[in-house]
Amino acid sequence: MPREFDFLGALVPGLLPVFLLSAVVHIGLDWACGHYGVYRYVWHRSLFRICMLICVFGLLNALLIK
Amino acid sequence: MRASSRLRYVVTAVILLVAIVVARYLWNDNMYSPWTRDGRVKADVINIAADVSGIVTSVAVRDNQLVHKGDLLFTIDKSRYANTLAQTEAELASQQADKTMRSREAARRAGLDSSIVTSENRETAASLSSMAGARYLAVLAARDTARLNLERTEVRAPVDGYVTNLRVYVGDYASAGSAKLAVIDSNSFYVFGYFEETKLPYLAVNDPVEVRMLDGQATLTGHIESISRGITDRDAATGRELLADVNPTFNWVRLAQRVPVRVRLDKLPEGRMLVAGTTCTVVVKAASSAGG
Repeated sequence: MPREFDFLGALVPGLLPVFLLSAVVHIGLDWACGHYGVYRYVWHRSLFRICMLICVFGLLNALLIK
Repeated sequence: MRASSRLRYVVTAVILLVAIVVARYLWNDNMYSPWTRDGRVKADVINIAADVSGIVTSVAVRDNQLVHKGDLLFTIDKSRYANTLAQTEAELASQQADKTMRSREAARRAGLDSSIVTSENRETAASLSSMAGARYLAVLAARDTARLNLERTEVRAPVDGYVTNLRVYVGDYASAGSAKLAVIDSNSFYVFGYFEETKLPYLAVNDPVEVRMLDGQATLTGHIESISRGITDRDAATGRELLADVNPTFNWVRLAQRVPVRVRLDKLPEGRMLVAGTTCTVVVKAASSAGG
């Protein structure tokens, strides 16, 4: 994965598509957690979700950019 | 109910801690790892100027052509310089004859008795002979200069490289010393990475470097050749009366300045084309000291 890529002539940092991808993954995970009742074991649902997004983003960043 | 509630707190706290660690890693990775998107390919650009003035009579190269050292680039009207050379050749011949005559005269008088020539006459002849010799040398130098000028009407490439921005045509007047075209030295390509000043502690001379061009072709490798030791201080101009004129506005939020780091490219892959001035990303592979 390059550090930056050409998007319709504009140069965009490589982190941007990774972030969009992690947002997509996060939507899936969020749905799964709701569907399988993970949120019953969570005290603060919004905090849990933002933490999950950060973790997914960091993981994808480590996997794709490194 | 109580155990379940404790579990709920623990799960949330654990993921919060993990997220903090991950966020810190992401921050450090972006802020302290030595890489920059602001890299430029550079090459030595040689401005070719005619050494003598005159009308351009022929242009031997096309724009963007590869030329080798010593190849003819363009020629300047030779007639004037050929005439000057012929003139100095003639002067040289005349001076040669004069010199021979004077030296024979002096030799003859030196051999004669003092009852026939006065010693003054003899000394004058010797002086005239050496003056004629000196004039001969001066004219010889003038002849050599004229010959050099005639040679310099053919402007040749000083290095192997590519002709760029060819703006010289037959009939143009080329003044001595004013550049008519640029040749990019094909053996001199290097990369300037503009690193933020905050990242300078994480790189050192000879660190291996990866260079990624925007064209998406294979990554090039190189080494840090040197780090610039100075950039312009934008806030301190010299004002009137030669006093410092320090900018009184100081931004609360400000950007790290960038320092040029020169990267020597390792051997290029066969057939790989580099264009001076294009953008690239420079990533230093072995950080000389751990960031964070």
